[in-house]
Amino acid sequence: MLSRLYAWLDSRLKLEPVKETLLDEPIPGGASWIYVFGSATLFLFFLQAITGMFLAVYYAPTPDHAYDSIRYIETQVLFGPFVRGLHHWGASAMVVAIGLHMLQVFLYGAYKPPRELMWMVGVLLLLLTMGFAFTGYLLPWDQNAYWATQVGINMVGSVPFVGTFLVKVMRGGDTLGALTLSRFFAVHILFLPAAIMMLIALHMFILRRVGPAGPWSKERAAQRREAFYPRQVFMDAVVMLGVFLVVVLLALLVPFPLADKVNPSDHNFIPVPEWYFLFYYQFLKYMEGPVLGPIATWVLPGAFIALLLALPFLDPHHEREPASRPLVIGVGTVFLVGVFVLIGLSVRDLQAMKRTDPAVVSGRALYERFGCMGCHRIHGEGGAVGPDLSYVGDQRDRDWLIKHFRDPQSTSPGSIMPKFPLNEQELNDLTAYMLSLKKRV
Amino acid sequence: MMKNKRTNTPSGSRRSFLTWLIVAAAGLIGISLAVPLAGYVASPALKRRELRWVDAGPMDDLPVGEPTQRDLVMTITDGYMEVAAVKGIWALRLATNEVTVYSPICTHLGCGYRWDAGEKEFKCPCHGSVFDLNGKVVGGPAPRSLDRLPVKIENGHLLVQYKEFKSGTKQQIEI
Repeated sequence: MLSRLYAWLDSRLKLEPVKETLLDEPIPGGASWIYVFGSATLFLFFLQAITGMFLAVYYAPTPDHAYDSIRYIETQVLFGPFVRGLHHWGASAMVVAIGLHMLQVFLYGAYKPPRELMWMVGVLLLLLTMGFAFTGYLLPWDQNAYWATQVGINMVGSVPFVGTFLVKVMRGGDTLGALTLSRFFAVHILFLPAAIMMLIALHMFILRRVGPAGPWSKERAAQRREAFYPRQVFMDAVVMLGVFLVVVLLALLVPFPLADKVNPSDHNFIPVPEWYFLFYYQFLKYMEGPVLGPIATWVLPGAFIALLLALPFLDPHHEREPASRPLVIGVGTVFLVGVFVLIGLSVRDLQAMKRTDPAVVSGRALYERFGCMGCHRIHGEGGAVGPDLSYVGDQRDRDWLIKHFRDPQSTSPGSIMPKFPLNEQELNDLTAYMLSLKKRV
Repeated sequence: MMKNKRTNTPSGSRRSFLTWLIVAAAGLIGISLAVPLAGYVASPALKRRELRWVDAGPMDDLPVGEPTQRDLVMTITDGYMEVAAVKGIWALRLATNEVTVYSPICTHLGCGYRWDAGEKEFKCPCHGSVFDLNGKVVGGPAPRSLDRLPVKIENGHLLVQYKEFKSGTKQQIEI
């Protein structure tokens, strides 16, 4: 049935030469599991594109609705958390796949002539992927999104002469707000996909024109010759399935909750970037001051990108064996070790950092929901009918507070505070919030 | 080119077996994506509309035998938004103190109709459908009587469940 359909199409569209071009591409040295990372990256790009399209079905890119629309996806939409989880973990997986793909190309010297252009387009693809990560991070419009983007945009401001102007262009004005969200959304779902699809096509086109590089040793390359189909395609398919299963498991098992809704006046919020930006985040901590600061925020990143783009021209010898390229391999290793050390230090710092107890967060939300600030005051905010609660954690203990919330009259006779309908969980959360209000935390 | 050189490319049954495995892997990924994504998109269509009892004002000043328009002020959940909506319904208090409530939408093509106090008839301005006090069609193209809404009386107040029905059908079909 299918073969008859193919024959019918082939007789009209002359598909056979196309099939040969696509599938019979010779791989020097034969198929190998080491060549799968490019395909894995492409697969993850498609997964991101598909899940992204479906997220856009419910997402609303305005400050009024962005957060609520994502919460709707998380709580009301069938398979909503799964689709969002796939997009979130798919992004992380894509960064890993790109990292491994670049590492393989670097180690095999596959960026060397005649493949310089393929490498340079690849570097641009990496930059576009970073652009996706940066613009996508803002879209949930939660505290993490807002403050992390604030930091990212401010770094652009350190570029001399044009920094301030660039910041305004990125924000769409003086503050991070409605215009920022809509332009980040447009860039994330329209501009970047158009650009990345063109560059992916160019990357593949160059690959087909110059052919895959194969092993670094010429003897090994000459030993075997094998077509792309079926063994390399099979290896690619197995890896794609494996990557897909890992992303599915992460989406199902590791929830990716929203932080609180954006609160531009909460300057105590410490944003944490995605893990793949952690090395840079940690690096920035060591680079403070008027000289080191700008070096870290734009001089080094700019130099690094320029170095990557220029790599094929800085290391143009045709010798591809790593042992014959000690300097380049050495620099690459130092860079990689540096990145992993910085990630390790950052994770250690983050674990040591005091995190707000989730019970305290829920307790604060209850405090707002029941309108407690109508009568009580915390650090100058709220009414003055009831006692000031700014340091209530120093004055009352847990038992007293729980008893008080169950029946205010039992601990404070004559109190006009009403009994609120709190369940056990809410009672504990509200108490946790009260106990967190202390002079010294 | 390739065909003239010694090649290690699998052929014959080994080639077909690998092809089969490749198709199986792609199919597995495709199906595991297609099912949740279909459910994801169809999700709002699978939800049942939530029905709430809405206060339509006190019984006291509802005249007997004379249809009166009352406003239902409701909070409608529109996706991730809560929107206030006002729907005018027609309430008719009977001599037995029971109340009949008509949906304000003409059963013909969904226009809003009026009560003509002089002729004691409901008249739809769009295509001329006419209904009597009991909601029965007495003229025009309407295919069925006016739609009645669930109603109850609590603490002297009229409570109504707002529903919508398909226009233009002989049978009453809730939407």
